[in-house]
Amino acid sequence: MISQLFILSSKGDHLIYKDYRGEAGSDVIDVFYEKVTALTGDQPPVVMSHKDLHFVHIRQGGLYWVATTTADSSPFSIIEFLNRLSGLVKDYCGSLSEKAIQMNFALIYELLDEVLDYGYVQMTSSDVLKNFIQSEAVSSKPFSLFDLSNVGLFGAETQQNKVAPSSAATRPIQSSRDPGGKSEIFVDVIEKMSVVIGSNVSSVQHQVFLCLPEMRIGLNEEFSVGKSQLRGYGAAVRVDECSFHQSVQLDEFHSHRILRLCPSQGEHAVMQYRLSDELPSAPPFRLFPSVERDSAGRLLMYLKLRCDLPPKRSVSLLPEGAGLSQELSSPDQSAELQLQNRTVFWKIPRFCGGTQLSALFKLDVPGLSSASLLEVGPVGLSFELPKWTGTGLQIRFLRLSPVHPGPSQRWVRYVTHSDSYIIRI
Amino acid sequence: MTDSKYFTTNKKGEIFELKAELNNEKKEKRKEAVKKVIAAMTVGKDVRYTSRLDFECYLGSFHPSIFYFFSQDCEDPNPLIRALAVRTMGCIRVDKITEYLCEPLRKCLKDEDPYVRKTAAVCVAKLHDINAQMVEDQGFLDSLRDLIADSNPMVVANAVAALSEISESHPNSNLLDLNPQNINKLLTALNECTEWGQIFILDCLSNYNPKDDREAQSICERVTPRLSHANSAVVLSAVKVLMKFLELLPKDSDYYNTLLKKLSPPLVTLLSGEPEVQYVALRNINLIVQKRPEILKQEIKVFFVKYNDPIYVKLEKLDIMIRLASQANIAQVLAELKEYATEVDVDFVRKAVRAIGRCAIKVEQSAERCVSTLLDLIQTKVNYVVQEAIVVIRDIFRKYPNKYESIIATLCENLDSLDEPDARGAMIWIVGEYAERIDNADELLESFLEGFHDESTQVSWLKRTDVQVLVNSFFSFPHQDSDNPDLRDRGYIYWRLLSTDPVTAKEVVLSEKPLISEETDLIEPTLLDELICHIGSLASVYHKPPSAFVEGSHGIHRKHLPVQHSSIDTGESPVSGGPAAAMDQPHVIPSQGDLLGDLLNLDLGPPVNVPQVSSMQMGAVDLLGGGLDSLVGQNFIPSSVPSTFAPSPTPAPPAVSSGLNDLFELSTGMAIATGGFVAPKAVWLPAVKAKGLEISGTFSRRQGHMYMDMSFTNKALQHMNDFAVQFNKNSFGVIPTSPLPIHTPLMPNQSIEVSLPVNTIGPVMKMDPLNNLQVQDSFKCGLPQGSVLGPKSFILYLNDIFAVSNILKFIMFADDTNVFFSGNNMDEIIKDLVNVKGLHIIYSSLILPYLSCSEIWGNASKTNIDKLVKLEKNNL
Repeated sequence: MISQLFILSSKGDHLIYKDYRGEAGSDVIDVFYEKVTALTGDQPPVVMSHKDLHFVHIRQGGLYWVATTTADSSPFSIIEFLNRLSGLVKDYCGSLSEKAIQMNFALIYELLDEVLDYGYVQMTSSDVLKNFIQSEAVSSKPFSLFDLSNVGLFGAETQQNKVAPSSAATRPIQSSRDPGGKSEIFVDVIEKMSVVIGSNVSSVQHQVFLCLPEMRIGLNEEFSVGKSQLRGYGAAVRVDECSFHQSVQLDEFHSHRILRLCPSQGEHAVMQYRLSDELPSAPPFRLFPSVERDSAGRLLMYLKLRCDLPPKRSVSLLPEGAGLSQELSSPDQSAELQLQNRTVFWKIPRFCGGTQLSALFKLDVPGLSSASLLEVGPVGLSFELPKWTGTGLQIRFLRLSPVHPGPSQRWVRYVTHSDSYIIRI
Repeated sequence: MTDSKYFTTNKKGEIFELKAELNNEKKEKRKEAVKKVIAAMTVGKDVRYTSRLDFECYLGSFHPSIFYFFSQDCEDPNPLIRALAVRTMGCIRVDKITEYLCEPLRKCLKDEDPYVRKTAAVCVAKLHDINAQMVEDQGFLDSLRDLIADSNPMVVANAVAALSEISESHPNSNLLDLNPQNINKLLTALNECTEWGQIFILDCLSNYNPKDDREAQSICERVTPRLSHANSAVVLSAVKVLMKFLELLPKDSDYYNTLLKKLSPPLVTLLSGEPEVQYVALRNINLIVQKRPEILKQEIKVFFVKYNDPIYVKLEKLDIMIRLASQANIAQVLAELKEYATEVDVDFVRKAVRAIGRCAIKVEQSAERCVSTLLDLIQTKVNYVVQEAIVVIRDIFRKYPNKYESIIATLCENLDSLDEPDARGAMIWIVGEYAERIDNADELLESFLEGFHDESTQVSWLKRTDVQVLVNSFFSFPHQDSDNPDLRDRGYIYWRLLSTDPVTAKEVVLSEKPLISEETDLIEPTLLDELICHIGSLASVYHKPPSAFVEGSHGIHRKHLPVQHSSIDTGESPVSGGPAAAMDQPHVIPSQGDLLGDLLNLDLGPPVNVPQVSSMQMGAVDLLGGGLDSLVGQNFIPSSVPSTFAPSPTPAPPAVSSGLNDLFELSTGMAIATGGFVAPKAVWLPAVKAKGLEISGTFSRRQGHMYMDMSFTNKALQHMNDFAVQFNKNSFGVIPTSPLPIHTPLMPNQSIEVSLPVNTIGPVMKMDPLNNLQVQDSFKCGLPQGSVLGPKSFILYLNDIFAVSNILKFIMFADDTNVFFSGNNMDEIIKDLVNVKGLHIIYSSLILPYLSCSEIWGNASKTNIDKLVKLEKNNL
């Protein structure tokens, strides 16, 4: 159970403080801030203890969300709760920031009263909570769809006409109570990709994904779960494991791959799925590196990067870093050397499918030996691929129940992120 | 107008304004003012002094009527208001108000609205915290228990949470009466309540001990769907329940294996969260992997370190990788580890190199590969990699002596680059150990010696052990001007040894070194079992039992994994008894497989011939009466391997079926007086499993009596004493007729032969006979008296014995504690103490409790009570 709960700004200002069990004074806030700022990199920040008090915290929206506990309670449920709480606050206030919290503190206290009682989590569903919350949220600025319409997903520059505004989640949920406001549904299929490609071609892959809000969602019919369940031939979509949000009704899932849900307002992870080992498609990027020493004792890195996506798809934003030791003279391309990380960053703003880019880096390394060639690498890629999923998961349809009134807009978006895409040299 | 203005006002007269506003007539204004005060308090401004007064005034203006309002609110038609009233009342942490609370609370517990009931349930916990006695007196606990059967799952969840908390402060009371009916109710509620409620219920379920494997299985079946919940806390709580109940399931059943398979995907999914969540998950997985490596053995790939993981996640993953390494996946693991060894982070690289060594030690088949990987790494000439690799290679040499000495030459090339004490020490060890094979060993050592003064003790220490081949003049150098007394003394010892008797010296120094253990830093099994019960809690993150970091640990039950159900140990309580037995967990329960293997491998031969079997059957009828059925079973399958195993913490004597037949044949007293077959002693308890106590034994018969002949051998370094024997109820009714005749402590390496007379008049357990025997090492906790207790821990244990009483005086010596009591004349003393018995009362009422709570056992037989009386005042 949770003893106290507080929210601090990144500078350590107290924004919200609530004591549920009267087990410790409010001076622990400062103790916490001292501790968390004094942490070194290799100390796990998750659980910190001070006398009999244990701090569990997360960082969301640049704020510290901290819970303290004295008993042997579960850090998992606390972390999960804090994440949920920050989600709730975001849903209610529209955004997560120091300012939003300050403006809505009364609302947040009301929320805190309702979600926790004597340190026990009561409910975190925005739907149920709506019945109990009286305060209205205060938005920092009037919401306008047009302001945001040209900002793409996750800050990416996207083709404006094809991608839905990513503004759905930044609206206070209560403001849509007013009649006449049209309801909108956004389903995001987000895949995170973790790949390690060894120098000897063996690849290890592992992915995790979630998708966001609502209604009756049809997935690919060939969708299967588990390793053994191969159904026939062809492009079946297979995942190792999936888990669902509580409100999802699975009665049609097994026969027709349909998720039925009565979502509450706000943002939810409807389904999370995971696939490891083999992907149905080849990894989207391949790198052909060569590292050698030239006659002048310089380190030559020749990198050839190929994008194996179908042509016509273009990828945006592709910075890349090669973990690398020592110094450099001057790079040949528009890349940047970061000495303190010993990395070279190579930024590629746009990369078309089926094409190939190459770069040659020359680095002056004092005392270069053959052994230090081994130290070069690995190469990490971070990218965002819109409209592409590694597993091939698709939303077949999105139907609203007939009782639901009014026309509403529906958006389905696919995106694949690189969680950790590592190519070893 | 936004609320943020409350944070920005910081004018001079702020407090004054607040005061004014709080007293304002208008409700709106007052509300604003209260908001302001709250805002100011949150920011941490010191509004306490002034505003609290006002605040109290503000509240105080209600004061006379506040409880009236509350109880009125509790009658409000709107359930929200009723609930709010109950919640708020519980939050006012003042003892006085509790009595006003009772009536409204009682009503609310029976409210028709579930929202009110659930709030009331938590309110009971709040009230209990303020005034526990009253809660009990008012019978709220019973109402809470009734709520477990509530129709609304939220209410059930809160009631369970409240009861769990209350029962933590009453360790002995059976508040949460977990019986099958209640469990059933909980399981039903589990499917319907919110995710948080599910956590409370699952945590509560994990405290339940099912009666048999069938019940455990049915609970598991209903808990398993929780594994695919999106909330990781629910998943982990479910994992905890399943891990606990897995203990109870038969290992060979299909269900057991399917369950194991089902456990792995959710655990892997936990690793996809934020680094913080990953870390917590990894700490838990680490425990699970130590307990049941089979769950995740297929999934080792997910523990491969990602380049951008934070270092603390990397280290945890590395640890788990090594634990999961096996022959099947070692190639993959090694390839990964080698990759890590070229990363930038020095700490991580070192750990990776070390991990390679651990793989070599763990998986013997891979040792060669590991060594070649290490050699590759040494070739990189990166200083810290080389040093770490050498340390690791030393360990490999210790594990597999004389196997890989071909690589020594390569190692020697790198001598100069070694500058860390560890690495130098390792290198010296290697050189010393293989001195015969290294031509220029003395030269090499000579070169180390030059830097001797600068080196840490550790190196020098090692040097001593290994320079055996060199002349003793070697020693004259270090011991003269070394500052460290320990070092100097060692120097002298070796020097004298060498100068007087080189042969003995060689024996001493070259004596066999203990092999290094396979698994390093494993968590001790009892602790591991306890931690498994705390999966998902803070304990599992710290890897410490909750008593180590939670205040008021006395109140907390130590949780144990359930022992697989066996009817055999239900009958009696352990004889070794007392509170010690409770603390003394069966550290090592020898697994039946092994023990049975031992016994059967002895191959006792066919000692019984057929006619004897029938005669024995008849004898058995006479002797054993009620035990017939079990014996009949025994006779029909005299040599089959027993099919039922059940662990029991104490010896159950029947040894090997063939030997037994013989035994019984003899015990029926049929004609044969002496002789007959006596099975050779078999090792019942190997030393490695019982902290060095080895017991071997057999059954025999002499002069018409049955004996259990045992020899106890102490293979540990410490004395052992306080031996006792206990027989569980068994199918032959065998019990000892006299206590175990070992009275003297067992010295190290001493062994003692004991013949324990037994007969068969004990209680008979009707069951299929168990033909295996289990032996428990029955130490009490702590140290045997007379063994070496570190001075510090002795002082720690006894230091505050003074506090026991202020009329007693204590004089404490290192090995003896005297307790004095004095008075002016005997009358006074007698008044207090009456006689020696009184002293015993003091002893038992004051000192024993002290000792027992600090887990020391006084040896009563060695406690003497003397009267010292001045003669002239002696009026006795």
